[in-house]
Amino acid sequence: MGMNMGFEKHLINEINSLVTEDIKIMEVCGTHTQIIAKLGLRSVLSSRVKFLSGPGCPVCVTDESYIDLAIQLLNTYDIAIATFGDLMRVRGTKGCLLDEKARGKDVRILYSPLDLIEMADRNRKKKFVFLGVGFETTAPIIALTIKTAAQRGIKNLFFLTSVKLMPPILHYIFGQPNNEIRGLICPGHVATVKGSNYFQFIGTDYGIPAAVCGFEARDILIGIHYLVKKIVQNEKQSYENLYKRCVRAEGNPIANQLIDEVFQTSNGEWRGIGRVENSSLTINENYAAFNAMEVFALKIIFKQNGISCECKDILLGNKTPKECKLFGLICNPVNPYGPCMVSTEGSCAIAYRYREEI
Amino acid sequence: MENIVTLRHGDGGKYTNLLINEIFYKNFDNNLLLNSLDASVFEVAQGKLAFTTDSYVVKPLFFSGGDIGKLAVCGTINDLATAGAKPLYLSCGVIIEEGFDMGLLEKIAQSMGEICRKTGVKIITGDTKVVEKGFVDGLFINTSGIGVVQGGYNPKPIQEGDQIIITGGIAEHGTTIATQRYQIEVVGNIKSDCMPLNNIVEQLEKYMGSIKLMKDPTRGGLGTALNEIVEVAGRGVCLLEDAIPITREVKAMNELLGLDPLYLACEGRMIITVENKKSQEVLAEIKKCQGCEDAAIIGKVTSDVARPIVLLETGIGGKRIIQPLEGVMIPRIC
Repeated sequence: MGMNMGFEKHLINEINSLVTEDIKIMEVCGTHTQIIAKLGLRSVLSSRVKFLSGPGCPVCVTDESYIDLAIQLLNTYDIAIATFGDLMRVRGTKGCLLDEKARGKDVRILYSPLDLIEMADRNRKKKFVFLGVGFETTAPIIALTIKTAAQRGIKNLFFLTSVKLMPPILHYIFGQPNNEIRGLICPGHVATVKGSNYFQFIGTDYGIPAAVCGFEARDILIGIHYLVKKIVQNEKQSYENLYKRCVRAEGNPIANQLIDEVFQTSNGEWRGIGRVENSSLTINENYAAFNAMEVFALKIIFKQNGISCECKDILLGNKTPKECKLFGLICNPVNPYGPCMVSTEGSCAIAYRYREEI
Repeated sequence: MENIVTLRHGDGGKYTNLLINEIFYKNFDNNLLLNSLDASVFEVAQGKLAFTTDSYVVKPLFFSGGDIGKLAVCGTINDLATAGAKPLYLSCGVIIEEGFDMGLLEKIAQSMGEICRKTGVKIITGDTKVVEKGFVDGLFINTSGIGVVQGGYNPKPIQEGDQIIITGGIAEHGTTIATQRYQIEVVGNIKSDCMPLNNIVEQLEKYMGSIKLMKDPTRGGLGTALNEIVEVAGRGVCLLEDAIPITREVKAMNELLGLDPLYLACEGRMIITVENKKSQEVLAEIKKCQGCEDAAIIGKVTSDVARPIVLLETGIGGKRIIQPLEGVMIPRIC
């Protein structure tokens, strides 16, 4: 019955025989966080291997000021907000979009941003604002949607984006003097877009082994095995693309062309962390007519440490979700307090779902 | 007959009668219904009766593998079947939004009639209301059902070593609804498992003494249903992930949508807990039923009484706890 997992079991044994002291490994992709929990990896790997979940879930890193802007738009103008489901429950400083929807405001949930085009085209008298969040992975589809809207002459659709870039926040994390992270599982999806060398700097700049990994049991185990081996052998600059079936040296040129055409690099606000230089993609001047920030003359009112949960230290790899005093008590998936509890890929939501140790 | 339902179809007069005769009586056709006035009267057998009710608000009303009518009849039949009862009579209350397409209403009534004929269950009383536009989303249905509990079946305490059977692939209904809700065009065969389960209970009649518990994993899916069993029984359960039947299409769609099939609804599956020594025979009997070809033993009851939990062993030998579902994954699936 079932698949033959002999190779995976061999890797598990190898990893366990290699580790002789605590090794903290970070992953920065929600899908990796989820697969580690789903496979029950912690129950078969030595307890010396510690996993930390970095800022890899778009919803989790979305700053409160961004949600505040969306609510401000709803309360000031006769517009409809369109977004993906997860963002509905993220709290700003004054509640979430789901509360606004319950109050009768026009908030719509979409699955594909391209559905937006049809929606806006059918109701040309109504103004729509799309909340587009994500990383290098979602940037191309948002760019494509903006470009398509421009090509089709749609003038009633605007974009309030919060698109983040991985390398600047990784520089921030690994530049912290006290960080204890010894290895990095690099996000396979981001590398698929940006190319296999996108994360090479982790090894060369910080002396921390890193590997681009895929999302099957085998992929993640090969990745952990590689990192543990390099850490134990003290080969600190090691870097490898272990997801060659998807990640090419040049990445996805079409996707990158779209990003370059529509976006520019700007400073970005990260939930709980604050401003990180050149860490976000914003709509460039050629597409300014679609930029909700400009069209509605919005200003980000950024509040440092607006909430008292530990999302910041969790995202930075300094704490695990269970070390947050709100975890599971005030903050749970039904009533999420911090953003890491909202998305199904948030590290707190995952830690909560698989909360008891075996 | 007009081609849409209007408010006067719900005023209790001539047009209401027309609607009831042309749509519902025609499709539900049975003497108890046709001869009834304000209530239907029927004989009861000696023994125990089972009685259940459920309301159906699924969106979309028509989905691959069924519609709200089929779901409303199967759902109540299945609730009776899991109590070990032979379903006999159903009631049917329908609340319709003004402007609803008459042809679609007829289709829904036809689906209900079809399942009734197939299972020998009769809808013997009903009610129709029409409300102003915007006050319901198309149409909602409530069905209640009465059945006679078959000799030999009593829910029994589960014990260490009891085997857990699922009668077919999981998450098919929930995945179908999610796929259609997100308007994703899928090439392949994803359809709801919605079907009546009374035939399984009939097939297993002579094993009723060995069957400990039956439960249909609807809202909340297999994961939540097993947690309910564990909570009542005060004993843990251990599942083998690779033994749980799931089609490749369903698995792939769940990955794509970021959903967990363990928590997605089945509408034509039953979890059956059976004593170890009869488990293979019971499984063989279940597999003879139509639509149950993929039935499988997916796990067993453990000795864990101190901390009764649902544990899942993954392909690589890892273990994780399956918690009950918290929050809604997809609203209005049934």
